[in-house]
Parts: sequence; structure tokens; C-alpha cells
Amino acid sequence: MIPFHTLSQRHLVFAYCAVWLLQFGYGVWLAVQWRKTRR
Amino acid sequence: MGNLQRIFYYHLPQVILSFVFPYLNLGASLLYLFWRSRSLNPKNGERALAADAFALASAEVTVLYASVGLATGMLWGRAAWGIWWTWDARLTTYLLLWLLYVSYLLLRQFSAAGQTAVLSAVLAIFAAVDIPICYMSIRWWRTQHPAPVFAGGADSGIDPGMYPAVWWNMAAWAMWGVFVLGLRYAIERRRQRQSEDDALGSLSAAPEAQ
Repeated sequence: MIPFHTLSQRHLVFAYCAVWLLQFGYGVWLAVQWRKTRR
Repeated sequence: MGNLQRIFYYHLPQVILSFVFPYLNLGASLLYLFWRSRSLNPKNGERALAADAFALASAEVTVLYASVGLATGMLWGRAAWGIWWTWDARLTTYLLLWLLYVSYLLLRQFSAAGQTAVLSAVLAIFAAVDIPICYMSIRWWRTQHPAPVFAGGADSGIDPGMYPAVWWNMAAWAMWGVFVLGLRYAIERRRQRQSEDDALGSLSAAPEAQ
């Protein structure tokens, strides 16, 4: 279960989401750009 | 602090790496200016283009890592201090670092095509001045942000049990950073070659149109 009981635990989950969304969102954007540019 | 301290394992490596990538940007920008000044040799022209592509890639990765550093820092601050933000020396100089590299990317996006590389290389030199100030800010001015974890004197450091998680995260995010930097560089080099091909194609098509 996601620990949403306290403010600090909620912010920990938000921080995990921020890290993975930003880093792997950028990775996905790069993959799309790679496919768009021709050799 | 309970489970909240786990933010540290993401926050620290991302912030440290966001101090490393701007130096790659600075190095590539200086190399660009050097090779551009010697571009009578065609090899140097090609090297200058490669350095410019690397400078763009490293600036983008800097903004990425600094954005994560800011986001995790603000979430940590809200839960630990009860505030999202304070104009503390480290936070202010770090926000400035983020703004400088965002402005670098905006300059590249909106400047006239022929001037983009030179203007952004010069901006990169000025932007790099903020990195040592930001790094030293928690040593020079003791305000809200915690004291340095590494190389901060006798009172600094973390519990030895935390080191494995810190080093694994540092290694993993550094490898990911090198991977996205390499991929972004390769994409930019492809774009440069595409622009060259398009320009040569329109030149060769011009006599047929007359």
C-alpha cells in the first residue's frame, strides 16, 4: 500500500514521482526525437 | 524524519551531477570558440559543430538534473521545514543556476540561426561562474540548507550505513546521465547533418529552377 498516512510520507511519494517522471519523460522524448531524425 | 529521509538518496546524486554537467557545457563551449576561430581548416569546422552539439546536450541534461534537484528539494523542505521555499543562499544560487541554463536553451531556440552557437557559447562561460558559488554557498553562509555531506569539515558526514545506497544511486544516475547525454548529442549531430544536406540539396536544385 502506498504510505499516504502522513504529510512526510505523501511528499516522499511525490518526490519519487517527480524523479521518475522528469528523468524517464526526457528519455522517452529523446527516443521520439531519435526516430524523427533520419540518418 | 522517518521514511522522508529516503528523498536524500535521489536528491543528493541529482544535485551533485547537476554541478558536473555544466562544466562539460563550459568545456564544449570553449572548444567551440577555439575551433571556430581556426575554421579555415575544414576539420576544425567539423570539430566546432561537434563541440556545439555537445554543449547543447550537456546544457539540456543540466536543466534536467537541476529540475529534479529543485523538485525533490522543495518537497523535502515542505515536509521537513514546513515551507516550500526560502531565499537561503544555496536555494537562491541553485535557482539562479537553473534559470541560467533554461535561458541558455531559450537563447538557442529563439536567436537568429547564424548567431546561435557563438551567443550560447559566450553565455555558457558566464553561466559557469554560478557553479562554484552555488557549491560553496553552504560553506560560506550557514543559513537554512543543511551543512555539506562530503568535504564539509569535522561536523559533516552521514551515517556509514547510508553510504551504499548513496553510492549506488550516484553511480546509477551518473550512468543514466551519460546515456541521455550521448543520445542527445547523437540526435543533434544527425540534425546538423540533415540541415547540411538540406542546404546542399537546395543549392544543387537552384540552377534547375532558373
